[in-house]
Amino acid sequence: MQGTPGGGTCPGPSPMDRRTLLVFSFILAAALGQMNFTGDQVLRVLAKDEKQLSLLRDLEGLKPQKVDFWRGPARPSLPVDMRVPFSELKDIKAYLESHGLAYSIMIKDIQVLLDEEREAMAKSRRLERSTSSFSYSSYHTLEEIYSWIDNFVTEHSDIVSKIQIGNSFENRSILVLKFSTGGSQHPAIWIDTGIHSREWITHATGIWTANKIVSDYGKDRVLTDILKAMDIFIELVTNPDGFAFTHSMNRLWRKNKSIRPGIFCIGVDLNRNWKSGFGGNGSNSNPCSETYHGPSPQSEPEVAAIVNFITAHGNFKALISIHSYSQMLMYPYGRSLEPVSNHRELYDLAKDAVEALYKVHGIEYFFGSISTTLYVASGITVDWAYDSGIKYAFSFELRDTGRYGFLLPATQIIPTAQETWMALRTIMEHTLNHPY
Amino acid sequence: MQPRRQPPPAPRSGPGNPRPTAPLLALLLLLAPVVAPAGSRGADDPGQLQDAEVPRRLLQQAARAALHFFNFRAGSPSALRVLAEVQEGRAWINPKEGCKVDVVFSTERYKPEEGEGHLGKCSARVFFKNQKPRPAINVTCTRLIEKKKRQQEDYLLYKQMKQLKNPLETVSIPDNHGHIDPSLRPIWDLAFLGSSYVMWEMTTQVSHYYLAQLTSVRQWKTNDDTIDFDYTVLLHELSTQEIIPCRIHLVWYPGKPLKVKYHCQELQTPEEASGTEEGSAVPTELSNF
Repeated sequence: MQGTPGGGTCPGPSPMDRRTLLVFSFILAAALGQMNFTGDQVLRVLAKDEKQLSLLRDLEGLKPQKVDFWRGPARPSLPVDMRVPFSELKDIKAYLESHGLAYSIMIKDIQVLLDEEREAMAKSRRLERSTSSFSYSSYHTLEEIYSWIDNFVTEHSDIVSKIQIGNSFENRSILVLKFSTGGSQHPAIWIDTGIHSREWITHATGIWTANKIVSDYGKDRVLTDILKAMDIFIELVTNPDGFAFTHSMNRLWRKNKSIRPGIFCIGVDLNRNWKSGFGGNGSNSNPCSETYHGPSPQSEPEVAAIVNFITAHGNFKALISIHSYSQMLMYPYGRSLEPVSNHRELYDLAKDAVEALYKVHGIEYFFGSISTTLYVASGITVDWAYDSGIKYAFSFELRDTGRYGFLLPATQIIPTAQETWMALRTIMEHTLNHPY
Repeated sequence: MQPRRQPPPAPRSGPGNPRPTAPLLALLLLLAPVVAPAGSRGADDPGQLQDAEVPRRLLQQAARAALHFFNFRAGSPSALRVLAEVQEGRAWINPKEGCKVDVVFSTERYKPEEGEGHLGKCSARVFFKNQKPRPAINVTCTRLIEKKKRQQEDYLLYKQMKQLKNPLETVSIPDNHGHIDPSLRPIWDLAFLGSSYVMWEMTTQVSHYYLAQLTSVRQWKTNDDTIDFDYTVLLHELSTQEIIPCRIHLVWYPGKPLKVKYHCQELQTPEEASGTEEGSAVPTELSNF
């Protein structure tokens, strides 16, 4: 957990803060009165004694006003800051020099400073206005991702729309992107990333994938065929509260942020909260555990939102849940070693997908059922999906195998996304060609 | 990311040999140290499993434990290795004593180097004992890096550590985006070396660990030229997904055996939790240093 700085007394406003405050009021004045401060300077004068101080006070009294004090003459030890209009600079400097008043130029050109400050203020309020300047090779905050979603949907409104499927425990929107070429209730493919908030590579991969879909539609025959017949749904930030927490306080937070009366540890493992073998081996009833399954199946709003959406839709044919790390592609069950009825088909499909992935950058993935490949885990997403009738249910564990783990360097985002895409495409293509 | 080595002709396939007996054996092995296949075996005979029957996972656990021990014993932050591939192995299970594994595996350098695809090879005998917490290990490896080069790199790292001006206190290495500043790399490597000792002691047939992040560092002045530092690491245990904060105290000098003391935080139970938000990821103050 990143430490926060130790407590102590709060320092007063620094000179820079005070200056900023004055600059703001200047901007306001400028905006209202259309004033222009080009060439105006702010001088800082140090008066040695009372005599020099009174000389400065004389300046203050001049009519018409030649200087404007930002920090007026008070005591000899304190600096005096004055704004001098461009037209008066020569005279004022001559006055100061002739009386032996030492000064320095604090601000060489106020207008330049005002312009810079105004730009900075506007920038801090305004998030990126378009997705073309969004960096796909960096990790982003929740606000940046949600802003990107809005831009993305606007730019590709012919095939992309945004759906809010619910709210998180801390009341954040839970958003899903829908990729569709029309029709009503086409058979659909579900992809979720970020169900465990510390797995940052998954959100980043999801975003790149969304962009890849719109870029390749119409160009890649396989993808175009898929989208003509099917819809794709991508939930990029499946655990928004946890994700915000990984940015603000604890980079390695996994669970959601739900709180229950009398329980002192926070959060439920969203990938143990599904109604399939709930509470079994590979999940934990200790609320302080990272694999705490929660009080009951679907007790968590983040899980309930997905269950309700998929159930109401009624026509999902594939579900892919993306995690990190370990480099694995797996299918149900997690809750037991019992093979699913179409395990041979899933084995072959996983093998093909992993080969397609490998061809991109030579990265090797293990594959198999979750319980035999990774570990026994109960109440997981893909087990629920499979039990709900979704035959093609897969779980990814993306890069790497432990060298960086959750803290995968951003330089690996795009290579990871590129190779993962080939595996996703393989699975989607198979789903398209095997309707049921 | 560079491919780790020359690609084999086909990607590795999982343990998903769709033989019905294999998963069943895996179940038996992992959930209870039961003596293996039917046959005429006396009560004290350790059951021996043939190659095809030994779950990949058990061999991997053994290889990991062996490698942590190897890294610790080598005492060289420049010569750290990571597991590349498990190649073969055998296991004996004695329900009274524990589980003994012979395993052969390949390794590569922890430090990613340009153009290097060299693989070292190791063979190890690992004994996961029921009574004792830490696995007993015999391991030998082929040489991966020339002795002189290793000594030079160790010495360079040593000098870099000695030249660190400020005690760094709270840090995040890597940072949240996975980046390690080159100037902080020596600290990381040394921390990884010290953590190897901890991870060796804690690895079992089921639990295995990775070093996730370094969250505090404090270097102490010494009067005997050794590197002496306290640090806090976050270890990630994969089977439970827990993040375990450990305080580690390390004393090192190039070429000398490494000295490590540590204390890792236990998982909180609901009764112990004090209402802090961070749950099990809060490091505690180390009381015995």
